[in-house]
Amino acid sequence: MSETYTIPVGPLHPALHEPITLKLEVSGEKIIGVDVFCSQVHRGIEWIGMNRNNPIQSIYLSERVCGICNICHPLCMVQAVEKAAEIEVPERAEYIRTIAAELERIHSHLLWAGVAAHEIGFDTVFHYTWALRENVMDLIEYLTGNRVTKAIMMFGGVRRDIKENGAKKLREGMKFYLEKFRKIEEIFLQDPTIKMRTRDVGILTREDALKLCAVGPTTRASGVPKDVRQDFPYAAYGDYEVKAITPDIYNGEVHGDVYDRIVVRLLEVKQSIEIINWALDNMPSGPLLAEKNLVRLKMKLKKAEGEGIGRVEAPRGEDIHYVRLKAGEEPFFSWKIRAPTYNNVLPWIPMLLGGQIADVPIVAASTDPCMSCLNRVTVVDVEKKKEFQITKEYMHKLSVKKTRRLMRNGR
Amino acid sequence: MADEIIHFVEIIIGVFLVAVFGMIFGLLTKGIDRKLAAHMQWRVGPPVIQPFLDVKKLFCKENVVPRNAVAWLYNVAPIVCLTSVIAILLYIPMGSIPPILKGYGDVILILYLLTIPSLAMVAGGFASGSPFATVGAQREMVLMMSYEFPLATTIIALGWKISTLYPGEAAFSLTTFTKYPVWNIMGPFGIIGAIILLVVMILVTTGEITKVPFDIAEAETEIAEGVFVEYSGRNLGLFYLADAVKTVVMASLIVALFFPYNLSTYLGSSIHLPSIAWNAIDFLFYLLKLEIVIFFSMTFIRVSVARFKVDQVVKVYWGYLTLAALIALVLIALDILL
Amino acid sequence: MMINEVWKLLFKKPKTNKFPAKYAPKNVHQFLRRVQGGKAKIVPPVPTPPDFRGKIRYDIDSCVGCGLCAQVCPSKAIEIVRDKKWIIMHCKEGAKLAAPLKIKIYVSRCVFCAQCVDICPRKCLKMSDEFLLANENKLDKSLIVPGP
Repeated sequence: MSETYTIPVGPLHPALHEPITLKLEVSGEKIIGVDVFCSQVHRGIEWIGMNRNNPIQSIYLSERVCGICNICHPLCMVQAVEKAAEIEVPERAEYIRTIAAELERIHSHLLWAGVAAHEIGFDTVFHYTWALRENVMDLIEYLTGNRVTKAIMMFGGVRRDIKENGAKKLREGMKFYLEKFRKIEEIFLQDPTIKMRTRDVGILTREDALKLCAVGPTTRASGVPKDVRQDFPYAAYGDYEVKAITPDIYNGEVHGDVYDRIVVRLLEVKQSIEIINWALDNMPSGPLLAEKNLVRLKMKLKKAEGEGIGRVEAPRGEDIHYVRLKAGEEPFFSWKIRAPTYNNVLPWIPMLLGGQIADVPIVAASTDPCMSCLNRVTVVDVEKKKEFQITKEYMHKLSVKKTRRLMRNGR
Repeated sequence: MADEIIHFVEIIIGVFLVAVFGMIFGLLTKGIDRKLAAHMQWRVGPPVIQPFLDVKKLFCKENVVPRNAVAWLYNVAPIVCLTSVIAILLYIPMGSIPPILKGYGDVILILYLLTIPSLAMVAGGFASGSPFATVGAQREMVLMMSYEFPLATTIIALGWKISTLYPGEAAFSLTTFTKYPVWNIMGPFGIIGAIILLVVMILVTTGEITKVPFDIAEAETEIAEGVFVEYSGRNLGLFYLADAVKTVVMASLIVALFFPYNLSTYLGSSIHLPSIAWNAIDFLFYLLKLEIVIFFSMTFIRVSVARFKVDQVVKVYWGYLTLAALIALVLIALDILL
Repeated sequence: MMINEVWKLLFKKPKTNKFPAKYAPKNVHQFLRRVQGGKAKIVPPVPTPPDFRGKIRYDIDSCVGCGLCAQVCPSKAIEIVRDKKWIIMHCKEGAKLAAPLKIKIYVSRCVFCAQCVDICPRKCLKMSDEFLLANENKLDKSLIVPGP
């Protein structure tokens, strides 16, 4: 029977956490064709940032791009604005930013581990991992005042300090996690049923990872050592010298499948614990903000002119924000976010071909998609009553036109 | 003539009582399973009577029939499923109470009847008119074809042993199994073979009642509840009840085949109580045995492993479990020869 | 391996914090009435740390009505209003009787970022640790600070 039929996965499906549409052509249970229709979650964040908000309000807006990445998006934007307006950040603030980013990475990877276990039907590991995640959330609540939406970024530094009590709690928390790390590793990496479901499933070869520009743990698991903290260090990472983690550190071989991605993420948790301990030991004292008086800061940003790019290693990959400021106007002149999931969605196509329907959730979850960070648009032309998807060639034409326009106006 | 009418009326009352018992105990078992599974996952689960509230809620909700569905088959499938499962319960002894339809059927008939509820689920899935339900129904068919062989091998092995020792009795009748419990009549090879068959039966039960790792037909995250994706309201309530009763049926089968011991046979001579009281005590002991079997086959396996894929399920059933059942068969044959 | 873990977990106390009650009550209003009458107890939630960002508190007497908080609120939850209490204000032409500007905060729009707390020059805004703020009416009296 060579007839194929199409199974739509999404936009709403228990396997996916945010809306995205996958159309799978299957024959029996084998997948022979995949088509990805990205994101149905456009919320107009960049528009608000460019038309209504002054920069201080935009920090909180960028925090809400994604529910889990709420240190990396504000950090990225703040770095971009600091480059554009030429603001120097004091050293203590850099270290506190590093600690916050690493705490967020631990939290995000533990959350992902639970979700991946749920996708393969293993609810016990899901509950167990999320029970362990409660500790890091309590730490974050103690340090920043809220479990999610941490809101400690500000242009030129951070808003809160880590005092004696906070440092003590952090050290206890890290000791707890170091002890539990053995157990988590045992549960995930040595369980025979998990190995059965994830070994040699969703393989992404090294050439495909380089060709499709995948980022984050997805590409590190295929053997490509790409890491923004290693290649273009920001905050305090320059002093620590982070090394990108590839699966051959653990067991010496690189397959590029889902199992390797689990290995990479768990090893990154361990690396984050070490980074936090190092940062606590070496934290310099000093001021927290470059400009304490917020009214003066607002005035300075209003008068600033320039453009800046911020790059951050989010738990999912590399995150880029581009910001351009114009003198005399409070909202940004232009703001563009390119989230890591944008690069990680297209590798789904070579990963899923030849697999089974049962592999779709775990492969999709293994790239850790966060669809809220993506956004693209379907344009409906009301007068001509046509709707068309914006394709790559159309966008390329538009972007070339806009670049020419910006170059004309910028001069 | 009057005898027959009384017998007929007795059967009708018995059927009604058995149906009620099956449903109530099935839902209670489901509740205990959820509570124990929750504690094994380090959390407080729902109260033990939660499945009763679930069924009550389901029967109050609207019954939606999708436009693409084959309407008559869609509505008939849950009813067929529930009635056939209750029909199986009529042939199994409970404690020292003999089966309601004693003498009308034996284990081979139970084997045949066990395929009907799964077929009803498959028919309901194909009649739903949704690609998820089609995939789920295909998987359920594959699952059904896979676990039939180990199940049949188990029953044949045990029946063969009994029929060679006691050629006069009806070999496959469940009352024979009750009279000559498996562990008493086997030599050493036979006991090893019987233990292997017990493990095979427990894993077949997990597949029969579609729980992790063999719940590929209703995989929640992959195909959004598979076979039951379009069902709601009263139809889904009937499927839910059928699932509960099927648990009781499979566990009763294991208890009747492997552990048909009754307290009354051992303690009846020392403690003197009226026979109704002994029936009640035997019944409670039978419920306890059911609970233990369900704990090991449903709860414990469900919380410890992840879900398998279709080809892995087929490999486990046709590969490993069939091999184990055949080895047990050979061991029992050796036992018969010696 | 998970199989060994589950046996140990079966006998451990569950990690869930059973707030507000162990199982969901059948009728929530009745449950709340029984709690107020003292016949039932609510299990307390996990305690909040200090510096928790809960409901906002506003000291209306020290506010000078500069309006900075309204400019930086990301969700535009702060509205500048005229106070009903007329006071004597000193300006260049001498003393005048006028209605000063104060603010009104709509908690249903607040995102609890505490930016207004940081920027206020007179430090009259503070975050408390109240977080049980659910209400059916967005403009309920408990969700507008200061009171009516």
